[in-house]
Amino acid sequence: MRSVGALARFVLRAAVRGLRASAATALVAVVSMALALALAGAFWVVIGNMRGLVERAGDALTLSAYLAPGMDETLRAELTLGARQIDGVEDIEVVTPEMALARFPQRTGVSAGAFELLDENPLPASLEVRLHAESRNSEDAARVRAALAALPGVTDVSAADDWVVGYSRALDFIRSVGVGVGLVLALSTLVIVASTIRLTHGARRDELEILSLVGASRSTMRLPFLLEGLAQGACAGLLALLLVRGLFALAQPAASAALAFLAGPGELSFLSAQQSAVLVAGGALLGLLGAALSLAVDERV
Amino acid sequence: MSPAEPVAAVATAPAREALVALRHVSKSFQAGSFALRDLSLDVAKGEFVFLTGASGAGKTTLLRLLFAGERPSEGEVRVLGCDVARLPRRAIPALRRRVGVVFQDFKLLPRLSVEENVRIALDVQGVPAREARARVFSVLKQVGLQQRRYQDPRSLSGGEQQRVALARALVSDPALLLADEPTGNLDPELTLEIMDLIAAVAARGTTVIVATHDVALVRRHARRTLRLEGGRVTEDAPAARIRA
Repeated sequence: MRSVGALARFVLRAAVRGLRASAATALVAVVSMALALALAGAFWVVIGNMRGLVERAGDALTLSAYLAPGMDETLRAELTLGARQIDGVEDIEVVTPEMALARFPQRTGVSAGAFELLDENPLPASLEVRLHAESRNSEDAARVRAALAALPGVTDVSAADDWVVGYSRALDFIRSVGVGVGLVLALSTLVIVASTIRLTHGARRDELEILSLVGASRSTMRLPFLLEGLAQGACAGLLALLLVRGLFALAQPAASAALAFLAGPGELSFLSAQQSAVLVAGGALLGLLGAALSLAVDERV
Repeated sequence: MSPAEPVAAVATAPAREALVALRHVSKSFQAGSFALRDLSLDVAKGEFVFLTGASGAGKTTLLRLLFAGERPSEGEVRVLGCDVARLPRRAIPALRRRVGVVFQDFKLLPRLSVEENVRIALDVQGVPAREARARVFSVLKQVGLQQRRYQDPRSLSGGEQQRVALARALVSDPALLLADEPTGNLDPELTLEIMDLIAAVAARGTTVIVATHDVALVRRHARRTLRLEGGRVTEDAPAARIRA
């Protein structure tokens, strides 16, 4: 009588036996994969922090909706409420003419003394509108700008083209580099696993031959190798995570100081728990794919 | 009849159901060179047959065809009702579970104990552990190795290792047992021991085909003997003639 449980136990035992029998090869595979994955993980940390920096810079970028002179506070509050309803708007700051005057030298580098020659403050009140991170693109910025301009009492809205384009390009660049380098690293990891598993096929030629002779199905012969690839990949992912964490702890003080000098104070962030899990699971998946790739080109199994 | 001439008709043991039937089988590994050439033969259920001939006569290739280790280049090979030439790859394991195979070099796994080496034939079929242990114990008892079941096969003598290999071939209760030079690595005393075990298997009704170039062995056991030369059956001697 055939029992799936008995077959599963056999496959599991065969995988463990295989790992023990070729422990040195397995160790080389795990270390090689861990180094490739650590490189990917470190790159992910760098990309994540670069993205954080760009998003932090994006937080400071706003659309200014200038209000008609003499608008009273009630009307301004209603207008602010209306502006908040616009899709893509994250936050709004009301800037009174007095606040605008105070900020003028800092924003423009021109002394406010020039305005002292005038009888009254010429700067209008405005709404400083910050967009959600996902709406910081040309289309959404133009849509929000049009919606603000259509509000009663808004006389003009500043163009956001320059910063929106720059911000989008920076994010696209980071995304493209991340995907490109990530793909290269994933492929190299795949090749490492596939080559290593092929080595173990050679070393276990006799076992494969015997299994085939006694009537093992193709899946029974292949599953232990796939499990080995999965286990090696998961171990490599864990090892990579530890390596990246260690590197991060070592580099953080100096990198934080450099960051503070270049872009103002801010914390460097490590991979989140979810991202860490993705790194380990990604290692396991690459191990599995590498083993499958190796089996696909090996006629013996 | 010249020894190099093939037997004209199908080499057969009539009147009983054929477990193995080959019709005009040729096997070529490279163009123009044949390991087997237009070979036809029948082996009936329960028969014990020797395949003899010099090295390169085609004995091993013939056995490999019977457990679907090779496919014929031409002709039909039927084993236990399966057409080996047309057998889909996924169906080969099912055939091999009904065909036990023993080799000259034992083919045991050094990292596994005697029991595990035998049990592997049941494990790959998903036989539950308790049943597998009982069957392995029973077959090891048949070959007289039940006391050594936890040992590393490398610690056993050549004869004992071949008995483990035989136990592995028999544990699935095969309908057909193939043995390729099973005594080729053994001294005369161990040769007799192994052949007696194989003969006992045949006596219980299993069809047995043994490839050997040991003429003394063939004479001692006096069974139907097919002589191969240049990939053809050149003689099909019934047991009676061997005894004579």
